[in-house]
Amino acid sequence: MTKTIVLSTGNVVSSGPSIIRKNGAYRSNLELTSSLRNNIREAKEEFANTAAENGQTNGNGTQTPVSVWTEEDGDVLYVPRINWQYGGLQEEPSQYDITVKLFYLATGTSSSTRVKHTREALSLVQKELRIQQVDLLIISFPGMSFEGDCEWEADKQNAGQGNDEEELPTWSALELLQKEGLVKNMGIAEYGSEKLTRLLERAALKPTVDQINIKNCCNVPPPLVELAKKHNIELLVHTDCTDILPKGTLRELLGQGPQGAGVLADKGSNSPGLRGDLIPQWVIKYTAVVRDRGVIENKGYFAGAELRDA
Amino acid sequence: MGLLALGTALEWEDAKKQAGLVREWGIRQLLEIWNKAKTKERDALLWGDEVEYLVVVYDENDKKVVVSLRQADILKALANDTELTSQGGGVPDLQHTTGADHKTPLPVFHPEFGRFMLEATPGAPWGIGFKELLDVEPDMKLRRAIAKDHMLPTEHPITLTTFPRLGSPGVFTDPYYPVSGPKLRSQFVPDEIANPHIRFPTLAANIRSRRGRKVQVNVPVFRDENTPWPWKDPTVNYDLHNWPEDDDVRNGAAPDNFIHMDAMAFGMGSCCLQITFQAKNITEGRQMYDQLSPLGPILLALTAATPIYKGFLADTDVRWNQISRAVDDRTPEEMGEKPLKNDRWRIPKSRYASNSTYISTDHRLRPEYLDPDLVVDEDIKAKLLQGGMDDRLATHFAHLFIRDPLVIFAEDLEELDLNKTDHFENIQSTNWQHMRFKPPPADNSIGWRVEFRPMEIQITDFENAAFAVFIVLVTRAILSFDLNFYIPIAKVDENMETAHARDAVLQNKFHFRKHLFPAVRAPRSAGPSGANTPVPSRPATPVGPVEDEYRLMSINEIINGTEYARSAASQTKDTLDKPEDEEENDFPGLIPIVEAYLDSMNIDVNTRCELATYLDLIRKRASGELWTAARWIRHFVATHPEYKRDSVVGEEIAHDLVGAVIKVGEREQKGCGFGGLGLEGLDKLLDGFRGGC
Repeated sequence: MTKTIVLSTGNVVSSGPSIIRKNGAYRSNLELTSSLRNNIREAKEEFANTAAENGQTNGNGTQTPVSVWTEEDGDVLYVPRINWQYGGLQEEPSQYDITVKLFYLATGTSSSTRVKHTREALSLVQKELRIQQVDLLIISFPGMSFEGDCEWEADKQNAGQGNDEEELPTWSALELLQKEGLVKNMGIAEYGSEKLTRLLERAALKPTVDQINIKNCCNVPPPLVELAKKHNIELLVHTDCTDILPKGTLRELLGQGPQGAGVLADKGSNSPGLRGDLIPQWVIKYTAVVRDRGVIENKGYFAGAELRDA
Repeated sequence: MGLLALGTALEWEDAKKQAGLVREWGIRQLLEIWNKAKTKERDALLWGDEVEYLVVVYDENDKKVVVSLRQADILKALANDTELTSQGGGVPDLQHTTGADHKTPLPVFHPEFGRFMLEATPGAPWGIGFKELLDVEPDMKLRRAIAKDHMLPTEHPITLTTFPRLGSPGVFTDPYYPVSGPKLRSQFVPDEIANPHIRFPTLAANIRSRRGRKVQVNVPVFRDENTPWPWKDPTVNYDLHNWPEDDDVRNGAAPDNFIHMDAMAFGMGSCCLQITFQAKNITEGRQMYDQLSPLGPILLALTAATPIYKGFLADTDVRWNQISRAVDDRTPEEMGEKPLKNDRWRIPKSRYASNSTYISTDHRLRPEYLDPDLVVDEDIKAKLLQGGMDDRLATHFAHLFIRDPLVIFAEDLEELDLNKTDHFENIQSTNWQHMRFKPPPADNSIGWRVEFRPMEIQITDFENAAFAVFIVLVTRAILSFDLNFYIPIAKVDENMETAHARDAVLQNKFHFRKHLFPAVRAPRSAGPSGANTPVPSRPATPVGPVEDEYRLMSINEIINGTEYARSAASQTKDTLDKPEDEEENDFPGLIPIVEAYLDSMNIDVNTRCELATYLDLIRKRASGELWTAARWIRHFVATHPEYKRDSVVGEEIAHDLVGAVIKVGEREQKGCGFGGLGLEGLDKLLDGFRGGC
């Protein structure tokens, strides 16, 4: 039997140090992992007192039973539980630029599964922000990077990364989301000039954005600049890791260790918690910016993982 | 500085009698606009910058440089040209020289107090499109090009904060006028130094009359190897007997070891870089006013550019206190020098000073932060409360309204016009605090605004654009991350004084809040659902002593963060004490916070790189890798062959300094780098920024 675990961060914009980049770190998943950890810790604390009143615990957050601060809904376990009543934006959706970035984490996933994951992820964002449509969906495929001593090098290395045969069918299948009106524009992440050329040749759906990671040197390789210009694709900057939620990190987050949430059992022990193989599937990052004021009102992440019987 | 309509300006004896009326009418106008605009919502972020210039007459071969008093002619030429422009011509070859885009509205030029000054603003306000932020620098360059184009070939607009030899004996203006005129009664500058529009000489004269003596602008002199000590300002004339005020210096107005100045022009003749933001609504405006206030002294020290006054090196680096003293209209009673008899109260600060109020409705504003010595006109406050204004905002305006109006036009007293804000603005705009909270105009056509006023003008437009854009980004980070910069107002005052010290940017420490982020974040989306599920209950955040909320930090630490300041890259001599709990006390730094903001936005590669260049400049100025303009000017003087290590900045040094600044400006206009100019220390000011040719 397979169970889906949905992790969430809540709104991280005012959550302090976890959003500040460490000195010299040009890409990191620190924002995601520390805000997941914070959100779990806060949920435990919030529910500790009420749990204590019910005689379930001594009021110390670390002891709060998992069942109190998580929520099970069919095959889905929400870690922590989400109160959708707290969601929504302060003004009507038309005032915002809403960008989501979807990271596919597992390789060897069929395009239909990926579309399913995308729909799950998008519907969580829709519910959280109470919106119908996102302005931009950026797709990040696994195994991609745009790294090297300089961007020239990055572009060269990039050409051989990822797997076109997995990516192209997924990309094409996502067009449906745009037709359904869930997504206004589609973008791609970490596509160098060669990969982008191949995508443009073979797919009907044109990205409006290619999001790349840049280090100190601001020289984007000219072939990519020209290609983007020719096809009206905006080259945007990001500082995310492609492998934003590695398996080991997730297990540590949810495990029985001192930093763990105590949701998962330790392997090969008698410790409490869920058992099985936990495989991260996707992460969605959402950002809602008040368009004509440049103010970030809401930013957060959901992550989806599958728990399979070991 | 906006110009009021011409009319009959009252001399102080008459103006004084009308002060109460102007205040009363001003309050009624304020309540009118407040009622109209308090519910205004969702105004976009629009912002504007103001750049001020000195106009100098410079000839490379004549070893003398002076200021030009042709402001009126230059403005006339600009005005005439605007008419031509609208008919499709008039500004020759601008496109060619600056690459500027004529589709954008052309810049606007304004007169300033000093007749040797100009002010220029963009033709239309800026928005928050990130690409638009990159238009600021070309627009500033365009303004300078247009200004230069309407001057004589020997005239140049430069952005030094002060003219190094303003008020020195001999000739420093073109045309020349003798000193000791009836309005200023200054023994150093002629009346003609001020804009001749009746408003300006009246302002200067009424400040002097209200005060009962001339203003006293005394700056400590920089003591060099050969500076005689004690130092007596050799330019002070103790034998002048034209005006009663000539007694001032005989009565101790010019103490030893201070450069002595005696007129409004020494302060209001300084150039600065001011930024005004439109807020979403009154609540956001009040929040921005408060949150930017503690940043004022930091940005003042970081932009330091004023080491010379009246031909002498000063021991301070910034203009602020000199302006403060140059417009200080307080009477001896108000200053506490005599017992209160005729005046209503003692007033601790000049009309030009650091902020005295916090005004936000923010729950994080603790009463302990407020100024315990705030002087408030209780009658006016009662009227504002009666009119429906809340206590905090009423206190703010009732504090501004302790001042007398300085320039009153007889014609304006005939009838109260509630469709105007002239009487309100009369008081509001002569309260020169380091922030200004601006209600919408009478027609309510624009939103609530906040003006950030402490920054010194920088020599190049690259630097001016960098600081303008930086502050804009800081405001966006404040609003996005809900940052909290509150420290007690008394500590902001103290920081403002600290910012004056020579090289304060590297040598001094400032009170700054340790934790900017909310202790508890805004409602999480993870909470209970349904009636049967547990309800979260969170204990109230414990509130500790205010003194634990802030500590002393270097500007490097404030701007770049503790981690950066600690690292070897940092040039500051400051050795950071290792705090007991390192992580806990680590301050993130304003630039990393701005970067975190940028990381969350969709920004194209080019724009991000350009913005990174601006942040780099500020990072390096804060860390000491680069010098402030003040330090560069000191270095220029110290290495000049004519300098005798006696604190005197003679005519030839001043000439060459201004010449250097003009050369840098010409290079910038050409879009060339600053290398190869052969100017001593220029690489420490501007590094390799903006390339080379």
